[in-house]
Amino acid sequence: MFRPFEWQDLIPLAQGAWLTIQLCAVSGILGVIFGLILGIARTSPSRIARWISTIYISCVRGIPVLVIIFFVFFGIPLLFPGLEPDKFASAVIALTCFAAAYVAEIVRGSIEAVAKGQSEAADALGLNYWRKLTYVILPQAVKIMVPPGIGFLIGLVKDSSLVTVTGLLELTHAGNIVTNLTGDPIKTFLVVAGMYFVICYGISRLGRLYEKRTGVHVDPLKLPEPAGI
Amino acid sequence: MIFVENLNKKFGPNHVLKGIDCHIREREVVCVIGPSGSGKSTFLRCMNGLETISSGSIVINKHRLDDSKTNINLVRQEAGMVFQHFNLFPHLKVIDNVMLAPLKVAKTSKEEARAKAEMLLTKVGLAEKMDTFPGNLSGGQMQRVAIARALAMDPKIMLFDEPTSALDPEIVGEVLAVMKDLANEGMTMVVVTHEMGFAREVADRVIFMDQGRIVEEGTPEEIFSSPQHGRTQGFLSKVL
Amino acid sequence: MALYFGDLLPYSSLLLEGLWTALYITLVAMLAGSALGVLVYLGKVGPGKPLSILCTCYIEAIRNTPLLVQLYLIYFALPALGINLEPVWAAVIGLTLNNAAYTAEIYRAGFESVPHGLREAGKALGMKPGQIVRYIILLPATRNVFPALTNQLILLFLASSIGSIISLPELTNAIMSVSNTTYRTIEVLAVGGLLYLGVSALMSLASKRAETTLFRWAVGTHV
Repeated sequence: MFRPFEWQDLIPLAQGAWLTIQLCAVSGILGVIFGLILGIARTSPSRIARWISTIYISCVRGIPVLVIIFFVFFGIPLLFPGLEPDKFASAVIALTCFAAAYVAEIVRGSIEAVAKGQSEAADALGLNYWRKLTYVILPQAVKIMVPPGIGFLIGLVKDSSLVTVTGLLELTHAGNIVTNLTGDPIKTFLVVAGMYFVICYGISRLGRLYEKRTGVHVDPLKLPEPAGI
Repeated sequence: MIFVENLNKKFGPNHVLKGIDCHIREREVVCVIGPSGSGKSTFLRCMNGLETISSGSIVINKHRLDDSKTNINLVRQEAGMVFQHFNLFPHLKVIDNVMLAPLKVAKTSKEEARAKAEMLLTKVGLAEKMDTFPGNLSGGQMQRVAIARALAMDPKIMLFDEPTSALDPEIVGEVLAVMKDLANEGMTMVVVTHEMGFAREVADRVIFMDQGRIVEEGTPEEIFSSPQHGRTQGFLSKVL
Repeated sequence: MALYFGDLLPYSSLLLEGLWTALYITLVAMLAGSALGVLVYLGKVGPGKPLSILCTCYIEAIRNTPLLVQLYLIYFALPALGINLEPVWAAVIGLTLNNAAYTAEIYRAGFESVPHGLREAGKALGMKPGQIVRYIILLPATRNVFPALTNQLILLFLASSIGSIISLPELTNAIMSVSNTTYRTIEVLAVGGLLYLGVSALMSLASKRAETTLFRWAVGTHV
């Protein structure tokens, strides 16, 4: 009933990898947008904004991604009857929720790193909070967000493997299916691992390139930890 | 005691030491002075193998440093070193800083190492600081601990690499006093320093280095009162 | 829909047992993984060229692939080679190997952060390279990366939930099985999420406390 692992089995795996890339691109972009908002709120002068974002960030960072995925996948249809996002949408929602919290921590770290000396200088010039943020702090902070952002993106790709539990046909789930066809988990998952490696290593090379180009290197010890294991 | 012959040291294209010849006798106190970048610290660091030698030879107490068969750790036990930035081990109490090498390198017993460490710390005037961590000491106190730590291995030679350069002016004296005592006890010492007063008072011989060479050497009297070489005169006129 | 937590009560011990499994797997993987991580780091920077390349490949391979795929390889692939593993062992081995690669990198940062002068002071006292690492570098390096290490512990604890996919009876697994029997999905996910949150918050508090007591020598020092 099993047939050996053949070249044609690479096709569903490649399709899975492509879906993984799409999934991470969409939730990465959404995560960055929400993460920026949360991160700015986290450092804002408004106490309420700080509270809300702090609670959100700590909750998400203290709960496993897998539990968040289950929550979104099973919880949304239960909490909002009639609303049944498809698998891809659920996965995007779950990964975005998680990504936003990690991006927010990176944003906060970078803003605080810049704000140390620059904030007082901007205050002395009489700039108000939003002007200070948009003209002085963010332009500098964005530069140092990139290296940890790369780490976050790699974490996102790796954590996206967990949406396999929802049955979405991304790379890991494709691996499961090919294993069921071929009965050869070793070859299959070595190929799967190799594909993840290419994606992640490619991203980290981009990061190195950025560091070389801009000379921006930030002490890895001083930054919020990159997401995911 | 120390024989240096045609010592050369290169860092990549930088020729830092250009043929140093020097002989240091037992119980002699030699001060090495010169502008920064003259190679005097590198020279000192070559003497206990912290820098490898590009060519030439150094013989310390019959150990040839340029011979790969020489056990460098034996040489280092005989040549204690004191650094500009103290380099105390921050996670060890003062007494443990002093006891570490006797325990782990010389393998002396704990009681013996402790007794010795207490004796040395008393000698440098820090008996009451034995159980303090280095982070709570002043710079001068840290450097005195560093001296005690180096002495704990019973070195025959002490090498000092700008021991007072990182200290506030008002506490330089307490470190120099300890060094002076050591010199009076007959320790062989090589001191790289900017403290001309110390050199004049304590040194048996002063070596002036510039651009990787020994330009001039002699008694403190000769060097400070009647320097022969133009570069020595120029340097001294700036620092004195 | 109305939330009702009462149905969960009979299953509280199942959830707590799951939490306990998650905790001890995390602790074992943390201890074994950090020890292995130091060795991997030392192998990477050591003089042996083949070993160094091997360690670098190991670190990169682990850090650039998902833990789930690593667990699959261990849990499903090893039986194909004739090695059968209980889920617990597969999870412990997987998390340990995974953690080792991350702690190796953390230790790299830690060792590099220790001032070069300390190493030189050790050399000047005649200490051998192994002694210098053990008696001089290790503790200051650990202190410098202690926050990163405890953060890794929390990440590892959260990652242990992935064990549920290879049917390890830990907390997430317990959550899903209670959900399947009671149909109180939202409630049990909320309770489970709070358990994870509470434990990781405790870990973070405890690590801050531990940092000040363990490294009292570092007060007022910048190493």
